Formats: sequence, structure tokens, C-alpha cells
Amino acid sequence: MLRIHQKQSNSYLIKQLPTATVFLNTRLEVEYASDYWIDYFNFDDRNVFGKNVFTLFEKATDSWKQTLQHCLNEKKSNTGTEYFLDVNNKERWFEWTNLPWHDENENVIGLILQTEDVTRRVESELKLQRQHMLYNEKSKIAKIGSWTYDLQKQELHWCEMTRAIHGVSQEFRPNVDIAIDFYKPGHSRNTIAMALNKAINQGISWNKKVQIITTKGEERWVMAAGKPLYKNQKIVGVLGTFQDIHDQVINELKTKENERLLRTLIDNLPLNVFIKDVDSKKILVNRSEADFLGFDHPNDLIGKNDFDIYPRHIAESSYEEDQKVISSLRPILGKETICERKDGSITTFLTSKIPLIGIDGTATGLVGISLDISNLKQKEEELRDLINVTSLQNKKLVNFAHIVSHNLRSHSANFSMLLDFLVNEKDPEQQQNITTMLVEASDNLLETLNNLNDVVAINTNTNMDRNPVVLNDMIQKVIQNLQGVIITNRVQIVNEIPEDIVLQVIPAYLESILMNFITNAIKYKDPERDPLIRLGTVLQDNKIELSISDNGLGIDLEKYGDKLFGMYKTFHNNKDARGIGLYITKNQIEAMKGSVTVCSEVGKGSTFKIYFNETN
Amino acid sequence: MRQINSICIVDDDPITVFGIKKILNNVVECSNVKSYGNGKLAIDAIKEALTKEENLPDIIFLDINMPIMDGWQFLEEFTQLAIDQKLRVNIITSSIDLADVKRWEHYRTNSQHLITYNNKPIKKEKMAEITKVA
Repeated sequence: MLRIHQKQSNSYLIKQLPTATVFLNTRLEVEYASDYWIDYFNFDDRNVFGKNVFTLFEKATDSWKQTLQHCLNEKKSNTGTEYFLDVNNKERWFEWTNLPWHDENENVIGLILQTEDVTRRVESELKLQRQHMLYNEKSKIAKIGSWTYDLQKQELHWCEMTRAIHGVSQEFRPNVDIAIDFYKPGHSRNTIAMALNKAINQGISWNKKVQIITTKGEERWVMAAGKPLYKNQKIVGVLGTFQDIHDQVINELKTKENERLLRTLIDNLPLNVFIKDVDSKKILVNRSEADFLGFDHPNDLIGKNDFDIYPRHIAESSYEEDQKVISSLRPILGKETICERKDGSITTFLTSKIPLIGIDGTATGLVGISLDISNLKQKEEELRDLINVTSLQNKKLVNFAHIVSHNLRSHSANFSMLLDFLVNEKDPEQQQNITTMLVEASDNLLETLNNLNDVVAINTNTNMDRNPVVLNDMIQKVIQNLQGVIITNRVQIVNEIPEDIVLQVIPAYLESILMNFITNAIKYKDPERDPLIRLGTVLQDNKIELSISDNGLGIDLEKYGDKLFGMYKTFHNNKDARGIGLYITKNQIEAMKGSVTVCSEVGKGSTFKIYFNETN
Repeated sequence: MRQINSICIVDDDPITVFGIKKILNNVVECSNVKSYGNGKLAIDAIKEALTKEENLPDIIFLDINMPIMDGWQFLEEFTQLAIDQKLRVNIITSSIDLADVKRWEHYRTNSQHLITYNNKPIKKEKMAEITKVA
């Protein structure tokens, strides 16, 4: 009775225990259990008493089973951790402690099992483990190591990665002096020594990009950071990170070097270089382009488009070109372009526009390269002028050579023929006749030689002094000299030349030219009407145009146009026509760098226009 | 001696005309030798003979450099004329210019007439050769 009472009171006592406790008998059946225990394992609905503990914990591990059995047999207490799935099927961890259950006589009558919920602790342990793993991985990937320095113990600890970066084994025992000696002598070593000193003495953190020399003697860039560790507001050590940034730094240096190289190159190229975005705004401009456009610094041009820089029409065509290159992705190469600046100055460029193609295959802008070829252009033009002059001279020379050869040959043929006749002629009368012809031929030859000599003189004396001559004075002089012919032929001369016209000419040539044109006008007069000669001048583009018009016979220019100024060419049945006058006149005009043109209509008259180039 | 009906000399140089006539006398017999001072006079005479259906010259001696109408212009018009016979044209010139030879080639190959190119002075042997009727 007492025993039963005792048991009941025990049961009630245990039920109220503030811990999850269960009393198992030797058969490991539940004898007593605290409400906490029942609650904890959610056994409310089931009658746990008298049940074997392992039927309650279906998932109990064998080791735990053994431990419990062991406790009964060896009377030893034990602890361990187990987990179970709660009603929500969630893993929950508990720590158990078992003690042998003794009766008053110290006999083991079972065991006491106490459990404690450690789910949270286990979870945070796992979390910590995971984080630690993650940290290690990160450190490996980023090549970030860490270190700590205990001031009191004067102990320096390097993590695995820090050791790897230094190139030392895991057995290596670093100290502060050794660590500092790893830094490259000079800037790096001084910086770190000072930083460490400041951290210890003044509590200042650091983060420095410096170089170390590894045990293999290799120089490497590292990012070394450190900060003081406090305990009770006293600095007790320093902890820090140590990152290998060698590859980044080298890449950075290389990139910077490439950038500098490129910049130096484009800035010093004797070419205008620019890069534009898709809206044709400049995003890079070199020195030459800035100089050309009159900007102090290339940066002043960034963000500007052609409309900000050039006159509208130039900007429009350039913009159109840009857009075509960007949309078609086809470059324009070596195109000759005329560029006009806002001040109106003209430059000729050889321009290339090359699309800048991005990763997605569309253009992100374009690179432009322009070579100023204005000088070349000018030289080319000068050269072309020179070629024209030379080929003209050459043509004249060939022409002259032919004239000389033809005329001399023609005379010599006559001599040869006549002499041949003379030798074979018996008849004295015929002999006399042939002799007369020989004399005639000789005179002709002499005259031809004189004419040729005149032409040569004109063409070799092109550098004769040119003096200012009042045109009207010269005309008066010529008219005076021709007075007889003028009166005989009842010539009327209308002079409309202003009094102040002065020409820079070789006076003798001007006289000869005027004489020839006026004489020709009279010589080739229309027999039906009295000659009328009109003289006038027009000033045009620095040139003075002198026109001499007549109402004479006129010349069929379609037939004779190309021969009019040729030597020994005559076009009218006129006894005085020798075919030399206009040839000499033309040579004289050209010797003064002038030119002559003619328009004429048969039966109406002719107008000769002589251009005196006053700029020369 | 060879008999030729009609000969025509086109040259503005009286000495040359005299010379051609003189050498001709030694080579052929011809009662009708006419001379013209330029191409225009000659072509006009030929055109007139054509319309009047008179005899045309069998042989024409032609100078190149002449006033009013030169030898080339004469040839240009002459080769266009509707003449049934094949006539002989002897160009007599002192020009050794290749351009002139080329122009002759042009007319020679593009005409029904026999056209020759001869440099002055003309010797008797040469004259005998170029007075064979075409």
C-alpha cells in the first residue's frame, strides 16, 4: 500500500518536473514521464506509460540503443545528440543525458533519460560550418587570405591562403618581422611597417596596394588591409586581410599602358582622328583634329556634332555619310572630301569612316580618319598647270620644227630641181630663165629665214621687260603710221577705249600686234563697203580684253579655224597675203602671257579679242 | 613617148609648177597641161568639167600647203565626187611629216583613185613611174 502510494506520489512529482525527463525500467519501458517530455515529443494522444522507448522513437539509432543498454549494464551515465521528425515532419534535434536509476539499495532499477531541445544550437552549428566552408571557398577564389596578430603573445597567425600567397608551407611560423620583410624594400615595406605601427599605437586601419616578394623571389601585387582589435577599449591585436591582386594590377597596368600608347599614337598622328557615337556626336578627338578646328583641347570637342562645328551644308552631308556607315556597317575608305570651316577656309581631305561594331553586331559609332591633302591638291594643280604649259610649249616647238623643216626642204627641193635643169639645159634663153628663177628661189628662202628668225626671237625673248603703256597712246601711234593706207581705203576707225587703260606689255610687240590687226582689217576689206574698225576694252577678272572688230570679208572658221594663226596659212586670194602676220602676232601675244580668240562670219566681218593678263 | 590626154597641176609655187611641166616634157606627150594656184581653183574646174561632161585630167599633181584650200581639203572634196574613171593623183610635197603620210594612207585606202605620195624634188625616173595612167 505504502509502495503504491509511494509510486503515485513519485509519478506526480516527476510529472511536474520542469525538464523533459523520463524514467525507464530495466526493460526500457516508460515508468514515469514529465509533462515537458510528453509535450516535447508530442506524445499527448498516446499512452506512453509502459511502452518501450524504442517503439516511441522508431528512428532511434543503433548507437543510442546500445548506449542505453550499456547504461543499464555498466551503470554509467552518458550524453548524446539525436534527432526526430516532429508532427510537422520537421527535423528536430535533442540532446539526451541518461543516468542509471537506483532504488534505496543502490540497485539499478532502470535509467533516467533527460532530453533537451538543441535544434537551434545544431542549426546554428551547421550554419556556421556552412559559412566557414563558404568563406574558405571565397577566400580561395578571390585569393583573399587573413591574418591575426596577438599583441600580448606577440604571435602572428596566417591563414592557409595568406600562406599560399606568400609561398610558404603550412608549417611555416611567421612573426611580425618576417612578415614585414616579405614586402618589397622601399615604398611597399615602409608603407606596411608604418601602417602596422599606426594601427597598434593610434588605432588607425589601413588598406594598401603594395608589392611582396614571395619565397620564390617573384614580385606580386597584394592588397594588404588591417585593423586594430580591441578588448576593453584597449588594443590587443591587429587582424587583417591579405589579397593577391597581382593579375588584376598587371592587367590594369597593361590596359593603362595600351591606353597611353593608343592616345600618344592618335594624338601624334599627322591625321585627324575622331570617334563618333550613333548620333554623330564626337566621343573622342585627337590633337590634330582639335588643332584643325581651332580648339585648345581635344576634350572641348567631346559631345559636339558636326552642326556645332561646320557650316550647315557641310554638316548635313557629313551627318548623312555617318548615318549611312552606321546603318550599312560598310566603311567609307579614302574618299576625297571638301571641308569648309566656319571661317570659310577650304581644306581637301582624304576621309575614311569605319563603323565601330559592338558585341551585338550593330554599330555603336564610327571611327573617322582624315588626311589633309590640300597641299597635295595644290601641288597637283600646279603640276597640271605646268604640264599644260609644257605640253603647249612642246606642241609649239614641234609645230615650229615642222614649219622650219617643211619650208627649208621646200626651198632646197626647188634649188636642187632648178640646178638640175640648168646643168642639162643647152638653150641659152632657157638657161637665163632658170637663172632668174634661182634668184627668185634664193630671195624666197631668205625671206623665210627672216620670218623664222622673227618667230624664234619672239619665243626666246619672253622675259623681255614689260612696261606700262597707255593703250590709247599706242593706238594713236599706229594710226599715225598707217595714215596713208587709212585715207586711201577710206577707213573709219571708232575708238571706244577709255583714256586710262594702261597695259603692262612689251611696247614693240603691242605696236606690232595693233599694226597687224588693223592692217589685216584693211587688207581683207569687203570691196562692197568702206572699212569700219571698232576698238574697245572690257575689264574682266583682272584681265583686260581688247577687241578689234571689222566689217571685212570675214573668215570661214569652220574651214580655217584651226589654221588661222598657223604659219604660212592664207585664206583669201590676196597678193599681199604671206601667211606670217597672224602667226607672229599670236606668238607675240603669248610671249606676254596673253591669249587671243576670234569670231567671224563670212561677208560680215571679224572680231579679234586679245586678253592681257594683268595679274602677271 | 607615152601619150596622155590631160594633166592638171595644183600648186601655188610657180617654180614647182615650172619644174613639173619641164620634167613632164621629157617623159610624156601631153597637149593639155593645166595648172591651178590652189585646191579651190582646181576643184572648181574639175566640178565644172564634170557637169559639162568634158574630159577629166588623167593625172593630177597635188601640192599640200596652199592658201584658200590645201591639198587635203582638195582630196576630201575630190574623193567625194561621182567620177566613173579611176584617176591618178600624185601628191608632190616637201613634207616628211609622218602625220601627212598617215593622212595620205587614209585617202589612199578609201578612194577608188590611185593616190601616191612623193617627196620633192621629182627626178625624171620618178616622173616616168608616176605618169603611168591609173
